[in-house]
Amino acid sequence: MNGIIVLNLWQFGAVYLLLLIVLGIMKKCHIDQTKLLMIASLRMTLQLVLAGLILTYIFKNPHPIFVILYLTSMMGMAIHTVLSRNKGINKRFKVIVSTSLVLTGLTIILFFILGVVGVSFFNPQYTIPISGMIVGNAMTGVSLGVKTFHETIQSQKSKIDTLINIGASPKNILIPYVNKSLETALLPTLNSMLGMGIISLPGMMTGQILSGTLPTTAILYQIAIMIAITAVTCLAVFCSLYFGYRTLYNSKNQMLL
Amino acid sequence: MFQLSNVNFKNIIKYPEINISEHKVTFICGKSGSGKSTLLKLLNASISPDEGEVLYHSIPVTDYDTVLLRREVILASQSVYLSDQSIRDNFMEYYSYRGLPAPDDTIICKFLDLCIANFPLTANCHELSGGERQRVFLAICLSFLPKVLMLDEPTSALDEITANSLLKSLTDYCHKEHITLIAITHDLSLAKKYADELILLPTEA
Repeated sequence: MNGIIVLNLWQFGAVYLLLLIVLGIMKKCHIDQTKLLMIASLRMTLQLVLAGLILTYIFKNPHPIFVILYLTSMMGMAIHTVLSRNKGINKRFKVIVSTSLVLTGLTIILFFILGVVGVSFFNPQYTIPISGMIVGNAMTGVSLGVKTFHETIQSQKSKIDTLINIGASPKNILIPYVNKSLETALLPTLNSMLGMGIISLPGMMTGQILSGTLPTTAILYQIAIMIAITAVTCLAVFCSLYFGYRTLYNSKNQMLL
Repeated sequence: MFQLSNVNFKNIIKYPEINISEHKVTFICGKSGSGKSTLLKLLNASISPDEGEVLYHSIPVTDYDTVLLRREVILASQSVYLSDQSIRDNFMEYYSYRGLPAPDDTIICKFLDLCIANFPLTANCHELSGGERQRVFLAICLSFLPKVLMLDEPTSALDEITANSLLKSLTDYCHKEHITLIAITHDLSLAKKYADELILLPTEA
């Protein structure tokens, strides 16, 4: 197997031509998001260039502190993203969501790096990209789960009131919403597993194959990471909602919606 | 049995001294905004006053296990919540929220009758009118056999005849079973007809 062909800048620039097509279609269909498209592609470019430079530096000068710093900022961004998409939830709920994301994320990362791959936690070549996938997916899952939960609760206030008044416990009232939201958050991951290998060759596997890894090795990594992603999504959403729903009522069983 | 003293809710509503007696039918009247619905929520401790005390059998309501209190003192709120399934299924849904086994059909029918809602158990609640839904919901609340039943505008969606037969049936049953009934209405004539005691809430200036 050969190593990957290094893109030269001219070839690379050609790919931006595709954005012009998107821009053209958006104009024609009056989709008023051209500004977002510009900002998004610009931000992506800058962020990835930056990540590329930083990672190159870290790989050349590996040090535990870099891994820790990288992971910390990753977690920070993930928390920031989840909370900014869920502005309506109360303070204690926010703390619980953040803690759940960090603790479950770290647990799965440690298990994967030390237990499954069996390299040092401070090996940046493994820990950083794998943490990125795990934290990124946990973030998407928690964001979706908490959003679904919060929006359903808000739309069902009068039902919840009615049930409180006939003597149902807040727990009995809220747990069905917890379960339903967890299901909603898990479905995209489960569905993506179904199509894997047939409809899509997932990103990590594609990347490994492009850079010369044997497909048989690449699939092992892919299967392992998919299972890790499912586990982290499930755990992170479960902890966020299962501990979070208790912040919606006080010790007098009064709802704080 | 219930006593309110110096109760102030968010500085919007200040209640006079209120005493509600056990085993009696008490009607609460007052203009909208006089705090009728809020009063019932204070009594079952689903909200708390900013000042003053709400006592139930001489003990502050919040000193009780509030879930158990609300099982003893049931509030049939004005917003009727029934899902789009049969009357029997709605009974079962409420019973499961209360952690109780599903009731027998004979029990369900008994309480539907009491609430002038003798529709077939398989009737879909989606197809019932507002007043019919209200009575089915009342039947569910009454079937839990609370010691105190609080009704928020139980006749708001009913014509005069149905309203009278419902209140007659409910007050008779509650007297017989020693259930304390507390009901809100803006219809003073109905209140005078069925109440043992009447509380008029003043409107705050």
